[in-house]
Amino acid sequence: MSARIEIVGVSKSYDGAARAVDDIHMTIEPGEFFSLLGPSGCGKTTTLRMIAGFEMPSEGIIRVGGQDITRVPAHKRDMGMVFQNYALFPHRTVRENVAFGLRMRKMPRAAIAKKVDEALAMVALTGFEDRMPGQLSGGQQQRVALARAIVIEPRVLLCDEPLGALDKKLRQSMQFELKQLQKTLGVTLVFVTHDQEEALAMSDRIAVLSRGKVEQVGTPTEIYDRPATRFVADFIGETNLFRGELVGTDGAPALRVDGHLTLALPAADGLSGAISVGLRPEKVRLTPGGAGAQAQGTVESANFQGGHVLYRIALAGNRHVLAQSPNDGSGAPLAAGTPVSLGWTPADLVILKD
Amino acid sequence: MSRASARLGAPRLGANVMGLALLPSALFFALFFFLPIGLMAVMSFLTGNPVVMPNVVATTRHYERILDDPYYFEVMWTTVRIGLYTTVAALLLGYPLAHLMARVKSRSLHALLLMAVLMPMLTGIVVRTFAWMAILSDKGVANQILQALGFAPMQLMYNEFGIVLGLVHIYLPFMILTLTGVIGRIDERLEQAAQNLGASPLKAFCEVTLPLSVPGILAGSLLVFALAISAYVTPILMGGFQIMTLPILIYQQISANFNIGFAAALGMVLLVLSMVLVLAYNHILAAVSGQRDLA
Ligand SMILES: Nc1ncnc2c1ncn2[C@@H]1O[C@H](COP(=O)(O)OP(=O)(O)O)[C@@H](O)[C@H]1O
Ligand SMILES: [Mg+2]
Repeated sequence: MSARIEIVGVSKSYDGAARAVDDIHMTIEPGEFFSLLGPSGCGKTTTLRMIAGFEMPSEGIIRVGGQDITRVPAHKRDMGMVFQNYALFPHRTVRENVAFGLRMRKMPRAAIAKKVDEALAMVALTGFEDRMPGQLSGGQQQRVALARAIVIEPRVLLCDEPLGALDKKLRQSMQFELKQLQKTLGVTLVFVTHDQEEALAMSDRIAVLSRGKVEQVGTPTEIYDRPATRFVADFIGETNLFRGELVGTDGAPALRVDGHLTLALPAADGLSGAISVGLRPEKVRLTPGGAGAQAQGTVESANFQGGHVLYRIALAGNRHVLAQSPNDGSGAPLAAGTPVSLGWTPADLVILKD
Repeated sequence: MSRASARLGAPRLGANVMGLALLPSALFFALFFFLPIGLMAVMSFLTGNPVVMPNVVATTRHYERILDDPYYFEVMWTTVRIGLYTTVAALLLGYPLAHLMARVKSRSLHALLLMAVLMPMLTGIVVRTFAWMAILSDKGVANQILQALGFAPMQLMYNEFGIVLGLVHIYLPFMILTLTGVIGRIDERLEQAAQNLGASPLKAFCEVTLPLSVPGILAGSLLVFALAISAYVTPILMGGFQIMTLPILIYQQISANFNIGFAAALGMVLLVLSMVLVLAYNHILAAVSGQRDLA
């Protein structure tokens, strides 16, 4: 009963202004937990609202379960939606809020009562039936919104930053619960967030958006380990970005960043001209003193973060590199001013599109 | 004064300042609201004006006269009826426009609508009423057009229709502005949430926006009703003394009959009448919308 969503060449501009969403293509598989990730204003909400039917695409087609729904009005789309600020009906009780969709479907009263009870049990809100939304905490409201959306057994569940207003602890437990619920129901879930950790933790696949365009679609590990563009590498986690001229031979390409630093690249086809590469801090191995590694530098600062230490290393030519070492319990972090050599394998360098 | 008592004195001083700030409005209300109504209440139980007549005594004869003569009930009912028609018409005309104004995205269109609503208020009531008379009178613009099209002329004023039309025109902006404020504060996404759950746009409006705008409907209706039943210029001009309302009756008692006691009694009746209706209306709407009493 979950459905595939196909977004084909969809663009949206609000009354002639620049495109909020610009020629987006993506296919969301049935039962998938799919995240739209990107900074504020990149078009996540607009995309979600077009899927829900609250905005009409300026161009393109949206199909759900193989059927073109681009022009189907919102109330006939059979999708559940959890709004950014929940949008609970303030004049109705929790029970009435959750029952609303079933009532619109003209379900018999007894069946509605049963389903509402089940849905509220699923989000652990049994006993709150007669409260008004205003009498609930943020987390409880969030769960009512979720119950209201899933009780209609939608083909697709759309969530717009549903955890955005919750504090960190509650957020983490809700992330877990939402993920569990989605797996239990097997519903296709489109999840909007600007929080990369949240997206990495919960999603089957992620689409990273920037300025209305899709930068990359992939699994969390693909997005993190193999970012396709400079933007993705920079937006997801910490990354060291290098830009330079291609030198060396086809068999052993290298990137000349400046007079002091030349990086050996993994063998790849079709490289030419100016190139950007990314290197994750945790891929950089630090050895005190030493020589003969890829680069030498001195520790400028060490930021102890419990499980690991984040070092800022000064290289020659006024350049800096972040390096992350696991805390292996061997004592205090390297002191500032310590000379270190930096090592990595060429395969750790990810070639990025601009 | 010791330091302790000085500190204790500080909040008292704050309260005193607030009290002082309220004084002008308290005085204003006392002088121009409670005093006149009190005087009116007293007058309604006197045989004459104590300022000009030395041997005035207490009496209930003004009220007996109102109760004994069905004519006065008829006038009261006419007044209330005109108030109700005006309120309902202003609500039906005003709600869609207020909804549009509250929801319209374009700033310039919003400004244009606001101007259109406010513009009539910049013209005096008398001027506007005379304009209606030019249009609606027996030989007015409307009837000439009707006749030119081959229809029989119609009586468009000197009746309740004319009065209600004039009153709606004057009081519609009050309704619209009150409603726009309330509807504008209702989150649009609530209606979208309802649609997402399967409600058609009309159904979503009825289930969400309409009940949530009840406070605005209540406030706007009370305002228009109160203004309409106490209106005086428009009922006289548009009704041409063919339709008698309480304010007209009161005016006649004072200016033509010099019967201030009776006028005061009628005034008290108008006051009590509107208060009873306001309370009843509040009660009914609150019950219908399932919300707390609002007044
Ligand atoms: N109703 C609207 N009218 C005009 N511009 C809008 C509207 N909604 C969003 N936008 C613009 O479209 C862009 C994308 O917005 P949105 O989809 O809300 O981004 P996100 O949810 O990723 O933060 C933004 O530049 C925003 O200003
Ligand atoms: Mg958003």
